[in-house]
Amino acid sequence: MDVSVVIPVVGKVGDLRQLVAEYGEQLEQSGKSREFIFILGPDHYALAPEIKRIQADAGESVSVLSLPAPFHEATALAAGFDRAAGEIILTSASFFQVTRQAISIVLQELEQSEVDLVVARRYPRRGSFLNRMQAQVFHWLVRRLTGTEFHDVTCGFRAMRRSVAESLSLYGDLHRFIPIIARTHGFRVTEVNVEQHIDDRPTKLYGPAVYSRRVLDVLTVFFLVNFTRQPLRFFGLIGLGLLVVGGGITLYLGIYRLLGMGGIADRPLLLLGILLAVLGFQSISIGLLGELIIYTHAREMRTYRIAEEL
Amino acid sequence: MTGTDDDIQVSIAVPLYNEEESAPVLHEQLTNVLDGLGLEYEIIFVDDGSADQTFEQLRALTRSESRIRVVRLTQNFGQTAALQAGFSMARAGIIVSMDGDLQNDPKDLSKVIGKLEEGYDAVSGWRRSRKDTFLTRKVPSWCANWMLSRITGVRLHDTGCALKAYRSPIVARLDLYSDMHRFIPILAAHSGARICEIEVNHRHRRHGTSKYGLSRVWKVLLDIATLVMITRFFNRPGHWFGLLSLPFLFSALLAFGGSVWQYLNPVKAAATTTTVPIVLPGATVLLAFAFFHFILMAIVGELVVFLGDRHSSDAVQYRDSESLYWEGLS
Repeated sequence: MDVSVVIPVVGKVGDLRQLVAEYGEQLEQSGKSREFIFILGPDHYALAPEIKRIQADAGESVSVLSLPAPFHEATALAAGFDRAAGEIILTSASFFQVTRQAISIVLQELEQSEVDLVVARRYPRRGSFLNRMQAQVFHWLVRRLTGTEFHDVTCGFRAMRRSVAESLSLYGDLHRFIPIIARTHGFRVTEVNVEQHIDDRPTKLYGPAVYSRRVLDVLTVFFLVNFTRQPLRFFGLIGLGLLVVGGGITLYLGIYRLLGMGGIADRPLLLLGILLAVLGFQSISIGLLGELIIYTHAREMRTYRIAEEL
Repeated sequence: MTGTDDDIQVSIAVPLYNEEESAPVLHEQLTNVLDGLGLEYEIIFVDDGSADQTFEQLRALTRSESRIRVVRLTQNFGQTAALQAGFSMARAGIIVSMDGDLQNDPKDLSKVIGKLEEGYDAVSGWRRSRKDTFLTRKVPSWCANWMLSRITGVRLHDTGCALKAYRSPIVARLDLYSDMHRFIPILAAHSGARICEIEVNHRHRRHGTSKYGLSRVWKVLLDIATLVMITRFFNRPGHWFGLLSLPFLFSALLAFGGSVWQYLNPVKAAATTTTVPIVLPGATVLLAFAFFHFILMAIVGELVVFLGDRHSSDAVQYRDSESLYWEGLS
């Protein structure tokens, strides 16, 4: 099997029949044997017979994984990766995010360059000005915080080698950042520009709840990318900062009192100083606990990946 | 991980990051010295995701020389990871690590290996006359090493020196991450290895630029805290966090005493009302809170170690199970 197309059916659901037909046709042109894996949650169980019929009609190998509970996309992808038999795994949203020509572009990049994962960048971007703005701001933030150069990291259309899918451990909303996580695992990741499909038009601006979740996600990825193997660098830096300020205030008041310049027991500044110092120590202690966790699991952590041996 | 090959006596592991100019020079100097020693050796160059021609240079070297092994990492993972990649390829019973920037002198190899021969498990280089800038490199290094010696009880002057030699069982057992490569001798000493230090030559940087700066100071401070925890308290994290909680307990008690005293001796703020300041009781609460936090940490710490897959028995095991007796080179 050359290519496994893994499609979690979640959120917006397009015409799956057409999806299979067009992807299949494009892969046929590239001379690739292929299979399609759809992952369904309880909301979409009703689609299963329909998808099965596609198999009969289109002559493609299509399988359906029904998960027992509503899932995060990350869980669905992980389940799909487990089943996938292809050397290359292609993930796609359950509607057309990109035109079908993207398949050849992405596969070509994966096979011809020395890379392990290719993510599609929908370019130029469709949608209203505000829509494009919010996407740009989000991706700018992601680039800054993770030190990567992806412009559309959240695009669901990606192609990866088997080894990448096997070593990713995904949970929660992390599927949005698969390219970044793959890179922290030492894989070579690149993005290619592809044409955005007409169906992939954002209909509305996101609400505040979505924004705050995205911000939390970005912070999580920021931490995972930069500090997974050195938690004390993160918590410790915060802690040292707090400690310096809090300690400085307390020290100032201590000297003030010792030199007999006045009482300090009625100065709220003392409370602030002690509060900051205490928060500083707590932050550092959390970092130490993190180091303890990392140390006990150091054996399972892979810290490098080999490209070539001579 | 580390296989031993009977024929090869010494493996040299050299991480390289953007050292296209140094690599061929280093190779020439290394082979000159090693050939003179009459040892069977291999040189393992680890290209840590260089952006320049380092890998091409190494590839050219392998064409004419069979005792070189080259491994290229997919991206820049840092010196610790690069060294670990090198260590895991090493086949000899003696493994030497050194910098790729020519600041370590290959002529010191005989000294370092000879010292190992005297019956040590790990030998660490000491750049006594260091050729680096005084204020941004040497002074921070002295302070950090002095603190490390005091706190860990392992007397070393220069943990940052890349030139180190180990018997292979030492490095085979280490799981390195972050910037731990620096502390291998300390970690080894704490699991029972005999370690020593030896003065080595240090040369001026000729090519390329230094990859370190002063910004490392706070990292070193934090690393020391981690190291203390791992070397002294790993078997009893409860004691470690308990120890850290003590200052807060004492200051909380002190602040509490102060509040009680103030309560019993109220100050006349105005003619009619007396007030008791809230600040000291507030401080008591905060400090007690911190104390309690550390006690909880102690419990979670015990849980983490209990559930983890690394226990103290692992660390000392190799003394019994793997022969550290060394047959000598001749």
